[in-house]
Amino acid sequence: MAGLLSRERIVAKPGFNRWLVPPAALAIHLSIGMAYGFSVFWLPLSRAVGITQPTPCPADMGFFQTLTATTCDWKISTLGWMFTLFFVFLGSSAAVFGAWVERGGPRRAGVVAAFCWGGGFFISALGVHLHQIWLMWLGSGVIGGIGLGLGYISPVSTLIKWFPDRRGMATGMAIMGFGGGAMIGSPLADILMKHYATPTSVGVWETFVTMGAIYFVAMMLGAFGYRVPREGWRPAGWTPPAPQQAVMITAGNVHVNEATRTPQFWLLWWVLCLNVSAGIGVIGMASPMIQEVFGGRLIGLPGAALKELAESQKAQLATIGAAFAALLSVFNIAGRIVWASFSDYIGRKRTYFVFFALGTVLYGLVPFAGRIGSVVLFVTLFCVILTMYGGGFATIPAYLADMFGTKFVGAIHGRLLTAWSAAGILGPVLVNYIREFQLDRGLPPAQVYNVTMYVLASLLVVGFFCNLAVRPVAERHYMPEEPVREPALPGAAPAQASR
Amino acid sequence: MTDDGSGEPKPGQWPLVIVAWILVGVPLLWGVMTTLRKAALLFK
Repeated sequence: MAGLLSRERIVAKPGFNRWLVPPAALAIHLSIGMAYGFSVFWLPLSRAVGITQPTPCPADMGFFQTLTATTCDWKISTLGWMFTLFFVFLGSSAAVFGAWVERGGPRRAGVVAAFCWGGGFFISALGVHLHQIWLMWLGSGVIGGIGLGLGYISPVSTLIKWFPDRRGMATGMAIMGFGGGAMIGSPLADILMKHYATPTSVGVWETFVTMGAIYFVAMMLGAFGYRVPREGWRPAGWTPPAPQQAVMITAGNVHVNEATRTPQFWLLWWVLCLNVSAGIGVIGMASPMIQEVFGGRLIGLPGAALKELAESQKAQLATIGAAFAALLSVFNIAGRIVWASFSDYIGRKRTYFVFFALGTVLYGLVPFAGRIGSVVLFVTLFCVILTMYGGGFATIPAYLADMFGTKFVGAIHGRLLTAWSAAGILGPVLVNYIREFQLDRGLPPAQVYNVTMYVLASLLVVGFFCNLAVRPVAERHYMPEEPVREPALPGAAPAQASR
Repeated sequence: MTDDGSGEPKPGQWPLVIVAWILVGVPLLWGVMTTLRKAALLFK
């Protein structure tokens, strides 16, 4: 089995079509992308005991007792900790195991990710069945979170090596899958839960088992679809750009441990962290914001504030808020492929220049759209902002490859993903803190978001200068040159056959 | 993409490429369509 998974075993045979690698990467990213869609389980799980309605735990029950109690239901806030676990373990496992992924190859990483992510669903199913939330946290949160990190970085370096001419597009396709995973997983989970629901079960554990099996198979297919190119392989008709033509694309390679000692790594860490912090902040407040800023205008009652509406009208607004969030998720994944592909033409630094410069203007315009009461402008601004949030994720692997070379780009990307974990804390904390502060000062709910948008825009200004400061990595950081093996002649037996 | 350095893939692999893309593309399209249907409420 170890040999079957090794990097040497998956060196592509002559004539291998490189367009087979992105679907393999997508199979893995579409599976792990369900992490974004886990909230679809919260409502059914919050009445797993009561079935028709939640059975609250006694008020005097301690926190740790609620984790093991089988007679009362979990709160949605308790279930929500799963997201924190996901993104903490995604970032940390990508950082810790990145070098191992580079050494062991993408197939080994993909298979381990499949066991972790699929297996995590099975452990979670047991946790739901026994009504032990700690088992869910351990299964999907910790073990599944490690699978997320491994799965996320597994195709990055491979895709960049297969598509040296279109690095951005190649990684953009895979990372688009991570954004799109919840679009498949959430409605699928909804269908499955309805199918499995009985008078004595909300159908969640059965759904977990089914989805765990589906994801395991899909990820194994993806992992076994991975191939790596031979040393020195390059696409037909493509020659690496001359150093004087592409000063921001290095011809050398920087070791992962050396990369973290360069200012470029930390500048890009902040570039990602600030772009994601601002984006996460916006995503978290998009739905409540549109409802509170426009209130009755959304349902044909201009002038009516949210608090003046009846419960049925508020429910209508909540539906519109959910529709808005859904629309944003489409723009989020579209931005991943569009911006990353675009970066192949204008360069990575210029792409982030656009993200930060245009982003600052757009974030600053959101309060204006609210003030003039233009729903169309408001929605348009958010949609463009979300494309740049997704684009930031998708373009960063190619930026790293340009700066540090392709040899350790997967491992370097893994370490950089700690910026995502940090942003996952920074963004929501910042937004919630500012919101509470504004409300405590007595501002009407419709206006509390204005300051938040300006603060998020200021994060982008800092990111703009971080990106501006990025310069090519000094040659002293490069690894010693290894002799590149020339491609074998036609008819010569390849050194390693692919499977 | 051959060892002769021409980088040309074998023509026989294109059907496999199409099948692979359909396998990942169809679920993704279904997910996007489902999401867009939900988002359409915003414009009603």
